[in-house]
Amino acid sequence: MTDIFVNPSSKTPTPNSTPTPPQVENLPSPLPKKRRHSRFSAFWQYPEKVNFETREKGEKVILLLRQHPIVNLGWILMAILMLLAPTGIGVLGVLSSLPSGFQLIIYLAWYLVTSAFIMESFLDWFFNVYIVTNLRIVDIDFVNLIYKEVSDANIDKIQDVSYNMGGVGRTVFNYGDVIIQTAAEIQEFDFAAVPNPAKVAKIIEDLMVKK
Amino acid sequence: MTGVIPILNISIWLIAKIIALILLGMYLIFALVVVRQVQLMTSTVEVGFEAPIRLFSYLHLIFAIIIIAVAIIIL
Repeated sequence: MTDIFVNPSSKTPTPNSTPTPPQVENLPSPLPKKRRHSRFSAFWQYPEKVNFETREKGEKVILLLRQHPIVNLGWILMAILMLLAPTGIGVLGVLSSLPSGFQLIIYLAWYLVTSAFIMESFLDWFFNVYIVTNLRIVDIDFVNLIYKEVSDANIDKIQDVSYNMGGVGRTVFNYGDVIIQTAAEIQEFDFAAVPNPAKVAKIIEDLMVKK
Repeated sequence: MTGVIPILNISIWLIAKIIALILLGMYLIFALVVVRQVQLMTSTVEVGFEAPIRLFSYLHLIFAIIIIAVAIIIL
């Protein structure tokens, strides 16, 4: 017999019934929304876990910049060609006159060189960074295998910030050079091929105003 | 072609092996420099991706050592 006198809303859930999940879609989030950035991002605003060698206590990293990822296209294509080259050499039979042991070593050495090329090209892009903090701008350059150059200038020494985006590729992909004139020891900083140069220049100008 | 230099009575493949080992030895030094370079880079800038990069540099070094060992054995 159905219990028609019981209010449906006051029914207690039975143990077998599945509880409906609470409606959380429209609740306000307790934390402000943050844009998620990858570690490989070329334009990383307010990075959380970024640190650098000469960072001072209380110094906050506001921007971490690298060259736009599109600049990697050249070496990536070259790496693909290098990876495919042994197949072409095998088809043409260039090394067929050599003993099999030499052929094997040549192929292995080729892949070793290719892996080093890929690693060096990636490291060159990944670690050549420009950092803007609340106190200064830092340009970290690894010129070759064992030579690095770290330049910095305080925000209050910056005199002028400009940017340029010449060329089709730079306009399409929205990247360019940000040139910063300073009264510090190094008079000009060039943040080369960084994404969104207008925004970078604006952020640095805002920091100058605050100082 | 017999593969032997007539005057010195040395196998041409022995010379090729020595040259290959010298080149691979030089590459091993380069691989060591790469490991040092990666250490330098990861200590200069930390972005949270240091461990995989260091691992790759060590793998590259180990691969170079293995190739030298293989070259000594099979050439």
